Amino acid sequence: MNTIRELMSYDHRQCDELFVAVEKAINERAWDTAVTVFSDFSKAMLGHFKAEESVLFPAFEERTGMRMGPTQVMRGEHAQMRELIEAAEASLLARDASDYSGYAETLLIMMQQHNMKEENVLYPICDQHLADQFSTLLPKLESGLHH
Amino acid sequence: MQALLSYDQSPPIAAPFRFFLTAPVFGILAGVLLLWSGADLFASRWTPEALALTHLITVGFMLQVMFGAMLQILPVVAGANMARPLWVSGVVHAAITLGTLFLVLAFLSFLPYWFTAAAVFLGAGVAVFIAAAAYALSGIPATSPTIGGLKLSLLGLAVTIGLGVALSLSFGASLNLPLLQLANIHLGWGFVAWGTVLLAAVGYVVVPMFQLTPAYPDWFGRGFSISALAIVLIWTIADFAAPDSVSMFSSLAVVAVAALFAGITLNIQWRSKRARFDATQHLWRVAMCSALAACAVWLLAMAVPALGEWPGWPLLCGVLLLFGGFVSVIVGMLYKIVPFLIWLHLQNQGQGRVMAPNMKKIIAEQAMNCQMLAHFVSCALLLLAVFWPEWFVYPAGLALIVAHGGLLLNLLAAMSVYRAHQQKIAAVIAAQSSQPHP
Repeated sequence: MNTIRELMSYDHRQCDELFVAVEKAINERAWDTAVTVFSDFSKAMLGHFKAEESVLFPAFEERTGMRMGPTQVMRGEHAQMRELIEAAEASLLARDASDYSGYAETLLIMMQQHNMKEENVLYPICDQHLADQFSTLLPKLESGLHH
Repeated sequence: MQALLSYDQSPPIAAPFRFFLTAPVFGILAGVLLLWSGADLFASRWTPEALALTHLITVGFMLQVMFGAMLQILPVVAGANMARPLWVSGVVHAAITLGTLFLVLAFLSFLPYWFTAAAVFLGAGVAVFIAAAAYALSGIPATSPTIGGLKLSLLGLAVTIGLGVALSLSFGASLNLPLLQLANIHLGWGFVAWGTVLLAAVGYVVVPMFQLTPAYPDWFGRGFSISALAIVLIWTIADFAAPDSVSMFSSLAVVAVAALFAGITLNIQWRSKRARFDATQHLWRVAMCSALAACAVWLLAMAVPALGEWPGWPLLCGVLLLFGGFVSVIVGMLYKIVPFLIWLHLQNQGQGRVMAPNMKKIIAEQAMNCQMLAHFVSCALLLLAVFWPEWFVYPAGLALIVAHGGLLLNLLAAMSVYRAHQQKIAAVIAAQSSQPHP
């Protein structure tokens, strides 16, 4: 993991894995497993958002001076995903598979298109501008991600 | 950098939706055409009705949805925003919609002025779109294979439409062009350099994204679109300048490109991690199998002279590729794009105060599954109609009307959820702002 793009993209994939594990558990009607795995998923997602919002984005904004640019958009999308995670969790606790699948599907596309913007656009730019801070930045990000 | 700063600005919902809502209307018209023409349509691929039907689907259905989807996908995958999206989409939509109708009238009447009108409207509409997209993409580095693929597919589209315009004008102005040869090249560019390259560029991101499959192989991302375009170009030159054997070999390579994309996509879909399949996944799979079947029919027709002489084989290929392949995949994509876009717009309008209905409340799963079945039935009946036109042309026409009518209804239902929820948001926000502050 030598770049921000590699580290953070890897974490995106870890979150995907957990998302799939919940779907699989629900499909097998293993509700208790689903609730446990969902809580792992939710922790991984929120940890990722937090690492970005408290470490990566401020460093990017500090360096580029762009405070109302892409990082602001990403924060907005994080807020929308937090809402979807809450709604999905509520339907999971209510054992409502159909409602869960609606929120989960929406969350999945939201996540994936968000990841795509970060992996294709934002992270490469961060790598470009923040290369001299990797030695401090990467460990800080990594410790925020909880893996 | 300029594009990045504004890359949240997804275009207003009307910009893509006018394309999405028009596409099924052309699908319905394709069904009406079958009912009107009867079995005669299937006499050969060159009957006026078969040409009209082909273009109702390729230009009327495929081009419409692909433009709508590109407007939406450029900002997301490339950070490329089209300037004045409502203006561009309005002009392009009007031009290609009228152009398609003129082209259908032209094939059915063979009156030169309809061909000229179709060439002008389709040529202009596509030119405006390509110019706007190229301007938005200029200066965007190809950080992902999708960006490169999108650019190349625009080139493929430009050549396809350029050849189409030349063919139309040759009817309109009696130019002396080798029509059959040019028509084949127009078709090769359309199916492979435009259709397959665009689908591969988009599939490269959306197949792993919607279906949680492994990524496409690296070499595929790096080399597919450029090789596809190069192979189509070599085939074009060989077709004019090289001996038959070289030209035959290069056309085999063109078909192999399409088969390669379908084969790899099926392979990674096979390894999808999702626990249950939805309509989009079924539609993609059927599409890829159908495309492979089309390639197999082509290969057999080249290898077995008895089959090659049967005028039905190109029609069989066409039905498999257009209806089974492209229409299936496009319907599958619409069932993700449309509910997601509506959710996204409603979520933004709700300002965190009103939660948007989730995607499955925007188009119900049951409704998508029913329409998908109707579409598969229409494909099966069309295939049967190639073999026994007298028996199956009317059921196939009716089935097409039902399938595309169902698609239109599903999209309109999504729009009515959108409107109803917008009113709810307005009411909640009005109520909140009229409350006295404590």
